[in-house]
Amino acid sequence: MPLIRVEGLVKEFRRTRRREGRFGALRTLLTRQYDVRRAVDGVSFGIDAGELVGYLGPNGAGKSTTIKMLTGILVPTSGVVEVDGHVPWRERERNARNIGVVFGQRSQLWWDLPLIDSLQLISRLYDVRGVEYARALRRFTELLDLGEFLHTPVRQLSLGQRMRGDLAAAMLYAPRLLYLDEPTVGLDVVAKERVRGFVEELRAGGDTTVVLTTHDLDDVERLCQRIVLIDHGKVLYDGGIGTLKARYAPYRELVVSLADEPASAVEIPGLDVVRREDQFLAVRISAESTGVADVVATILSRHRVADFAIVEPELEGVIREIYANRAVKP
Amino acid sequence: MQVRTAMSYRTDYLFSLIGLLVQVFLLTVVWRSVYHGRDTVSGIDLSAQLAYTTIGTVQYWLFSPWTFSIVPERVRTGRIAVDLVRPLPFLGQITAAQVGLTAGVAPFAVLALPIAILIGGAAAPGSVLAGFAYGLSFVLAYCLATLFGAVVGMVAFWTTEVSGFFMLYRMVGQFLAGALVPLWFMPGWLSALAYVFPFQAMNYTPLAIYLGRDHGGRIVVDLGVQVGWLALAAGLLLLVWSRALRRVISQGG
Repeated sequence: MPLIRVEGLVKEFRRTRRREGRFGALRTLLTRQYDVRRAVDGVSFGIDAGELVGYLGPNGAGKSTTIKMLTGILVPTSGVVEVDGHVPWRERERNARNIGVVFGQRSQLWWDLPLIDSLQLISRLYDVRGVEYARALRRFTELLDLGEFLHTPVRQLSLGQRMRGDLAAAMLYAPRLLYLDEPTVGLDVVAKERVRGFVEELRAGGDTTVVLTTHDLDDVERLCQRIVLIDHGKVLYDGGIGTLKARYAPYRELVVSLADEPASAVEIPGLDVVRREDQFLAVRISAESTGVADVVATILSRHRVADFAIVEPELEGVIREIYANRAVKP
Repeated sequence: MQVRTAMSYRTDYLFSLIGLLVQVFLLTVVWRSVYHGRDTVSGIDLSAQLAYTTIGTVQYWLFSPWTFSIVPERVRTGRIAVDLVRPLPFLGQITAAQVGLTAGVAPFAVLALPIAILIGGAAAPGSVLAGFAYGLSFVLAYCLATLFGAVVGMVAFWTTEVSGFFMLYRMVGQFLAGALVPLWFMPGWLSALAYVFPFQAMNYTPLAIYLGRDHGGRIVVDLGVQVGWLALAAGLLLLVWSRALRRVISQGG
């Protein structure tokens, strides 16, 4: 049985319709008309223990709403949510013991207090005591390099430091499930790398199931084997990244750097040249056609080559195309 | 944690304390002027009136902090999401926060009391019994103020813009609690109205007991009324929360 089971999940938000014109505000106050918006519209998926799944979608697709229903913050309009056999919103506190949550946009730490105080309090909330707490604190201090700002009030931390503090806070009590809602948003490259390294470490441990929502596709490519892609509250794709890429970009590119002639000099029949620039030549190599070795051999037999490079298709291009079309190719 | 948060804004409370003392001073000036050389007005001694003003103002300051509920701020900023992923009952969390806030500012009230007495005046409790009954009534009044604050704070789940409504609650509450003018100086219909609302049980009742204005069997009735309001407030809070849970929308992100 999957650890997370979601079936036909729907969440509607009702918003009072605003009236325009004279006394608009007053009439809005008295009116009973609502606009109904379906943020999540019949989403289904299952996640097994130990998986690391990327939950992706453009802004407003319904990602955060789904996460909030999984964590028990929001009550679904209809459908099934089960986490570890329990309904999160009905058994909110019980579910809370099982999960760690990091919201990139807000912190669970106490703003005015030193980081260590927050960690200590959280350990007490989740009954992590004595030696166990000391061990967890030591582990995360080392892993996330918290040492230099453990005693700094959270409001004075940089975003990257705060995020590391939040990750430690979410994992301090070793929850089975970790939700990361845009954990790298607004971070610089070094701080991003830290967060990714930490998540990789967790995955390697194998005890933690991770659901990651992000707009940073480098996060996804680096960390996830599987992605669930949603838009307009519906699942567009659920499966491996490799499969998705193969469907959209079933080719790689071979970039050839010629030693002593411009790229325009190369004229080999059957070669699918996509770009020529100075001495650089980009050749598309599709999955069905001849292998890289053959193409390289052909080019080497006619030209002097300084260097070769193979460029794998990027997820970003694939996702951009899906967002633009609002659908996934069958 | 709310205690420690309150403590990290000490200067804020120091200023609030100065405001409190200024209020005691001004009210004292007004009452002295009202009495205008007379010892007793409508059966109330000037000394008792001054003691009411002093103790009442400090007590009200302690019971009714500017943030009488943390809920609206949590809802507005979306922090409510973080609160709801904690393995603790939400009502327990907000009550603990409110008690923590009071515990954080209580030392300031203790500090202010002697100064306030110096400015205003004080009186010993009407009797030993009155002293004990005051203690009990004081605790009930605090619980009542906190629970009603929590109920009112829940309004934030229905409408994000709550400052106007809160201002109304605060103003009307302050007046009907007898924090400015004791109920005994209100015209009959107004004090009758005050008794219909819970506010008097949050502030006026303990003071009336303390000064011996309410004595004997009346004390029992007073305490009974406080307990009754408390039960009602608790029931109301549970009801409102069960409905609010479905309204959580959590701003942003």
